[in-house]
Amino acid sequence: MNAALPTSPAAVARSGARPGNGPAAAAAPQVLMQAKGLVKRYGQVTALDGADFELRAGEILAVIGDNGAGKSSLIKALSGAVVPDAGEIHLDGRPVRFRSPIEARRAGIETVYQDLAVAPAMSIAENLFLGRELRRPGFAGHVLRMLDKKRMLQESSARMQELKVGIRSMTQAVETLSGGQRQCVAVARAAAFARHVVIMDEPTAALGVKEGNMVLELIRRVRDQGLSVVLISHNMPHVFEVADRIHVARLGRRAAVLDPKRISMSDTVAVMTGAMRPDGIPAECLAH
Amino acid sequence: MGTTAAPLSPGQPHPMNRWTDRLPPLGTLGPLIALLAACVFFATQSDRFLTGGNLSLVLQQVMVVGVIAIGQTLIILTAGIDLSCGMVMALGGIVMTKLATELGLPPALAIACGLGVTTLFGLVNGLLVTRIKLPPFIVTLGTLNIAFAITQLYSGAQTITGLPDALTALGGTFAVGGTEIAWGTLLMLALFALTWFVLRETAAGRHVYAVGNNAEATRLVGIPTQKVLLGVYVIAGLFYGIASLLSVARTGVGDPNAGQTENLDAITAVVLGGTSLFGGRGVVLGTLVGALIVGVFRNGLTLMGVSSIYQVLVTGVLVILAVATDQLSRKGAR
Repeated sequence: MNAALPTSPAAVARSGARPGNGPAAAAAPQVLMQAKGLVKRYGQVTALDGADFELRAGEILAVIGDNGAGKSSLIKALSGAVVPDAGEIHLDGRPVRFRSPIEARRAGIETVYQDLAVAPAMSIAENLFLGRELRRPGFAGHVLRMLDKKRMLQESSARMQELKVGIRSMTQAVETLSGGQRQCVAVARAAAFARHVVIMDEPTAALGVKEGNMVLELIRRVRDQGLSVVLISHNMPHVFEVADRIHVARLGRRAAVLDPKRISMSDTVAVMTGAMRPDGIPAECLAH
Repeated sequence: MGTTAAPLSPGQPHPMNRWTDRLPPLGTLGPLIALLAACVFFATQSDRFLTGGNLSLVLQQVMVVGVIAIGQTLIILTAGIDLSCGMVMALGGIVMTKLATELGLPPALAIACGLGVTTLFGLVNGLLVTRIKLPPFIVTLGTLNIAFAITQLYSGAQTITGLPDALTALGGTFAVGGTEIAWGTLLMLALFALTWFVLRETAAGRHVYAVGNNAEATRLVGIPTQKVLLGVYVIAGLFYGIASLLSVARTGVGDPNAGQTENLDAITAVVLGGTSLFGGRGVVLGTLVGALIVGVFRNGLTLMGVSSIYQVLVTGVLVILAVATDQLSRKGAR
C-alpha cells in the first residue's frame, strides 16, 4: 500500500547500495525483519494505520515519533506484546505471528523493557539466566533439578567481558549497581539470548550523561556482534550518535526512513512533528 | 564504526571484594545474633533453661508454628501474605481426627483427607489471588473466617478425643544421650532443610524469589508467574496440613480452637527471620531462627515466672522491631 515510498523494500533493492560505505554495504542490504500494513485499533482510537517497517541485518534502527504516533504500538506488535488487527510481519523471510512476548523470544527477538527489566535483589548471574537457568549434568541436575551455579557464573562473566561491561562480580545483587550498570545487565541479557533482534525501549532514559554513553557504547557492541537493534528513544543526540537509519513514525504510519549522516537533527524533528511533509524531505536525506 | 572498543567505565565505582561478596548480609545474621543473645540472657536467669530437656521442649513447642511458617515464608517471598494459615491448620486437624474416630477411617486415609482439605484451601487462596487478582491480604482474611467457621461447625465446637495411635505417633520421642527428642521436631527440621534446598538450588525456587522481586519482569522473561504463585499457595496449604498432624500429635486431641496463636506467630517467625514483607528477599532457615526466637522467649519468660500476657507483649514488640529493621536497612541500601 505504501509502494510509492522510496523506502519500501522494492525501492531499496532497485536503488542499490549507498556509495562509499565499505564492502559490507556494497551488496544489497539484507532485510531481516519486515512488517507491512500493520493496523491496530483500540476501540475508537487507531494506533497503527497501515504501518510499514523494515529492519536490516546488523544495523541499529532508531524508531522515533511523537506521543501517539504509533511508535509504541509498532514496537509492541514486533515484540509480541500486542497482536495487530491486520498486516503481516516477516522475520528472516518467513511470515510470523506472535501471540505473546514469549513467542517472539522463541523466534529470536529479545526486548529490553524500560524500567522493569531486572529482579533487584537477585545477583547479576541470576538475572542474566532468569527463565533460562542451566541445570547440572547427571543425577544432581535431572533428578534433584539442581542449578549449575558455577557454570552460570562463568558464562555470565564471559558474556559481560565480551560486551566489555566493567562489572567484575557476578554474584553482586543488581540493586547494588548504578542505573547505567543495571541497564547494561538488561541489555546484556537480551543480547546473550537474542538470535536475530534486540528491541530496546528508551534504554538511556533516566540515565546521566556518562551512564547514557556507557549504554550507547554497549548498544554498538551488540550491533557489532551481528545482531540487529531496534532503538526506541526520545533523545535525539543519542539517536544521531548510534543509529544507522531512523524510522520516523507519524499518525500510525511510517512517515519516512532517514539517514542520520545526511539530515540535521532539526529537520528530523520537523518530520516527526509534521512541520516538514514526508514528500518535502530532500531525497539525499532519505536512507536507502 | 565499531572500532571504539574502549572498556566501559562503570558510572560510579563499586568497591568489590571477592570474600565480602560471599558473606551473608546483616539481614540474615541479625536474627541468629538475636536468638543467641536471648539464649544467653535466659541462661543467666534460669538454671533450667540450657538443659537438654528444656531445649528439646522448646523445639517441640515450635514444631507446629515452624512448619506453618515454612508455608508462610513461601507466600511472603512472593510479596503475598496468608492470614488463614493457623485456621486452615486447625481445620485439617479436625478433619483428620474426626474421620479417624467417628467414621473409623484408617488413620492413613484420615491423614490424607486432612492434608487434602488444607491443600484445597491453599488452592482456593491461590486461585483467588492469581485468577481474580484479589489482594492476598483480603483473600486470606476471608478464608481465615471460612476455615474457622467450618472448623467450629464440623466439630460442633467439641474437642475430639480417643485418637488412634497412628495420629499421635509424631509426638513420640526417642532418646539421644538422655535427652528425649520428638519425631515431629525431626520432621520439622527435615522440611526446613528440604525447602531451603529447593529455594536455593533449583530454578523453581529461584522463580519464587523472582516473582517477589519483580513480577512483571519475571513474566516478561517467560516464566509463568501465575503458575509459580498458584504452586506456592498450594504447597503452603500442604505444609499447613502437615502442621495439623503435628498439632494433633503434640496435644493428643483434635482441638477446634487450635491455631489461634499460631496464626500470627507464623507471620512473626517469618518476619523475625529476616524475610521481607515486600517480597523477594529472605531465607527459609531464617524463619526457623525466627520461630525459635518466639519459642525461646515464651519458654524463657515462663521459666522466669513471667505471666503469659507479657509474653504476648514481648512478641508484639519483637515483630515491630524486626519490620522496622527491614525497612530501615532497605532505605540505607539505597
